[in-house]
Amino acid sequence: MVSEYNNPGSHKYFFIIALVFSIIVLIPMYVLVIIAFAVPSQTIAAYYPSLIPTKFTLSNLMHAFSGYSSILEAAFIKSLITATIVGALAAFLGFHASYGLSKLPVRLSSLIISVLFFSTMIPSLTIAIPISVSFLKAGLYDSALGLALAQELVVLPMTIFMITGTLQSLPKQIELQARVDGAGFFQSLYSVIFPLALPGVLAAFLLSWMMSWDEFTFAIILSPVHPTLPILIYLDSTARGNILYASAFSLIVTIPVILITMALSKFIKGNYMASGLTG
Amino acid sequence: MKWAKDELTAFLLILPALLYVVILAFIPALESVYGSFTNIHSNFTLYNYSFVLNLYGYSPIVNTFIVTASALGFQFLIGFVVASLLSKQFKGRTVFSAIFLLPFGVATIVTAVIFHDIFSSYGGYANTLVRAFGGSALDWTGSFSTSLLVVVLADSWKNAPIVSLILLAGMTTIPPDLYSQAMVDGAGTLRRFFHITLPNLAPFIAIALMVRGISEFNIFAIAKAGLFPSPLLTTMTYSLFDIVNPHPSYAGATILLGFIMIFAFFIMLYRDRSAKVA
Repeated sequence: MVSEYNNPGSHKYFFIIALVFSIIVLIPMYVLVIIAFAVPSQTIAAYYPSLIPTKFTLSNLMHAFSGYSSILEAAFIKSLITATIVGALAAFLGFHASYGLSKLPVRLSSLIISVLFFSTMIPSLTIAIPISVSFLKAGLYDSALGLALAQELVVLPMTIFMITGTLQSLPKQIELQARVDGAGFFQSLYSVIFPLALPGVLAAFLLSWMMSWDEFTFAIILSPVHPTLPILIYLDSTARGNILYASAFSLIVTIPVILITMALSKFIKGNYMASGLTG
Repeated sequence: MKWAKDELTAFLLILPALLYVVILAFIPALESVYGSFTNIHSNFTLYNYSFVLNLYGYSPIVNTFIVTASALGFQFLIGFVVASLLSKQFKGRTVFSAIFLLPFGVATIVTAVIFHDIFSSYGGYANTLVRAFGGSALDWTGSFSTSLLVVVLADSWKNAPIVSLILLAGMTTIPPDLYSQAMVDGAGTLRRFFHITLPNLAPFIAIALMVRGISEFNIFAIAKAGLFPSPLLTTMTYSLFDIVNPHPSYAGATILLGFIMIFAFFIMLYRDRSAKVA
């Protein structure tokens, strides 16, 4: 903690500043909720809308869902499948790679970490355009699997840094003991290390799932015909100018992600994001 | 001998992830660079670049730099305030830090939709506020300066939490004794910030600059959703993209990649220099 001299009187000011900040942070989310639930004449159809609407309705959401149920359902399923593949692949590749990294000499492992980190610098657009051409030839264009394979790139390095952090926090003795007791390399990996690292692996799965659920650039280039939810929202808000539907869909996209963010708040720490560079 | 065998197994465990990154990131990036210098018959040409420059001029490059610098500046301002606040002990601190983190999870496109609603020229909440202060309704996305403000606010709302978290992680590594010693020596709040907090945070500032700077160069969904109508490197590249003849878009993608590599190089330089000083 950066503890300057803490006089009790200043706590009150910290509290007030934090409160003001929280309100500013929450207002945009509040706006999304009232646009979804208030009558349009008091929100998007008013010239000067008020932040405190008086008439509420469910018909905005009902119209958005019924008018368009098949497209929405298809986008929802595609987003769900894509995000689950991305999360599962990230957990699988990430766990094995992180464990491997922890067993290698420092010089080799830091070289591999630099390569992984370097890959995160390449813009998604620079990767997505040539991939779209190859995917078209390979029959992966516009498929959930193809999109997941591309989005994996965004999350894989971060997943490895995160699980590496978890593995480093485990006591070394446990593994040595297992080896002394006669467990082989893989037996100790799956029956001793994996259960201990499970919280970190799970967190990496959820974070990857969430990043795929939100991802835009790969999705718009690699899967434009049968879109995912973020692309459907984009098409509604910009191309079709249907703000009400876009807001309703935005709410569906946001709810699971808010829940995951709250569940993960313990894991989303600066140290994990930083671990790529500090080693 | 047994441990050497384990090291080989360890390397084999990393290999899938490593190959993955090479095949799906490095090779396509090289394909983009190669493709930008060739035409559809794979002959060498500079036509793609001259085509892009003739069509768009230098404004996408300039705009990308302006947006990146403004967004980074604003996010670091917010990041320092929030991180300093959360490094103190006060009532409700954990609840507030959870609230500050919430926008991190909101999808970029959802952020764009929300800020589009707030800054809409018809039926926008920002205009309600402007009128409350006696002004008249503004066309927020109509001019360069106001659309810059909107895109920076929207992007920072979503991404300032990451900057705060990284800076907060750095602040917890500074020994409190340094501050009490400086106070005894009579250093005020500002001097303590510039002479203790800032130099000690250098590696973390470098990380935050790297993570956020690269994303700012890549800012796409927010601009594409109509918050920033002036061309950026990303939106330009996307407009050029055509799956039948992707070569002009390869040129755009390569310019983007080039600027990010130069940016990353300077951050690394700053990080190494500050590491030597510290």
